[in-house]
Amino acid sequence: MSTELLFLISLVAGFIGAMSGMGGGVVLIPALTFFGMDIKHAIAVSIVSVIATSSGAASAYVRDRITNLKVGMFLEMFTITGALVGAAITLAAAQRPLFIMFGLVLLGAWVALFLRRDAMPQAFTRQDAFTRWLELEGQYDDQAAQQTVSYHGRRAYFGGPLMFGAGLIAGLLGIGAGALKVLVIDLVMGLPSKVSTTTSNLIIGVTALAGTSVYLAAGLINPGLAAPVILGVVIGALIGTRLLVRLTNRAVRLFFLIVLAVLGVEMLLRGIRGGL
Amino acid sequence: MNQSAQAESREKAQSEAGGGLDIETLIGYILLGGVLLSLALLLTGLSWHWVMTGHLRLDFLIAKTNLFQFVRADIGQALSGDWRPGLLIKLGIAALLLTPYTRVLVSMFYFALVERNWKYTVFTGVVFSILTYSLLLQ
Repeated sequence: MSTELLFLISLVAGFIGAMSGMGGGVVLIPALTFFGMDIKHAIAVSIVSVIATSSGAASAYVRDRITNLKVGMFLEMFTITGALVGAAITLAAAQRPLFIMFGLVLLGAWVALFLRRDAMPQAFTRQDAFTRWLELEGQYDDQAAQQTVSYHGRRAYFGGPLMFGAGLIAGLLGIGAGALKVLVIDLVMGLPSKVSTTTSNLIIGVTALAGTSVYLAAGLINPGLAAPVILGVVIGALIGTRLLVRLTNRAVRLFFLIVLAVLGVEMLLRGIRGGL
Repeated sequence: MNQSAQAESREKAQSEAGGGLDIETLIGYILLGGVLLSLALLLTGLSWHWVMTGHLRLDFLIAKTNLFQFVRADIGQALSGDWRPGLLIKLGIAALLLTPYTRVLVSMFYFALVERNWKYTVFTGVVFSILTYSLLLQ
């Protein structure tokens, strides 16, 4: 695959990833394998690029004081362990189950996106003792609503172990698995969605690093291929973030529902049929 | 609360957190600096390779290694004056991998020395240890 093509694919993947909020990996890996890259190399190069997009975005959110660092640092213990296990499974696995897993995760993301309501009301439940002990609470300035929002997390004893699963999928498939992390922080731990998305972003960087370490040790990281992919994904993501505000939410959602369905079915079929 | 009051309360919170440099600012700039450095190295390396060879194709695998050996080998090559496009690209990848790692290390020291919060010193210590272990894998 030529470097120019690699850059172009990554640019499009980063763009779609940022626009949809789902990250670049879900488009990047199917596209790279479509153009003939071995799926394990595609996963390895993708997870390195995830570090760049996640850290870049997180740097702004952290300085804006929306990210909850304590929530992030507590949950990271679980996601990095999951990522190490996931990446180790990928190394040992055959190609076909990886395609099938990827297809299933894409279709799962499709269902989640299809069912998503725009604002999920948070029923207030009492904070449990463990979550209080973990100091998982905070406040942030909501600039759109011009008010300070205070919040208390809950059920950290449940959220932590679930994040192991999110980390496992991230390491296994070379994606950020941000949607899954947001789901846990938002629905299970009850944090406001702005805090969930930005905190998930912070966690994705170290989780991807843990996965990368396994692929690096296995000799799967190719700097010559990683360089254009990283540059492409980051530039694509920057453009996607800028454009996001100009498109209506509905158009983005519909567009991404189609992309996810096509990629999911395609990956699944390639895994089932063999002949990758 | 109006915006100026918000800004005021934020400033107050910042000064209470100890001087002008709080953990959010510190982490924010570590992440930003690391990613920008990495992108600059990758872009320079690729451009240099293109100028020298007239094409962009650059395909080389890193032999099975861990991050610390990888960084040491790159720095050794840089110090010996053997500068090539490939070296810049390898340094760019190393800078990227070291970015979240540094973030965790700095957070650990911040929780231990500035906030004196033992719980979070232990948590970030666990994260740092697991990462260090995994980055030593071979």
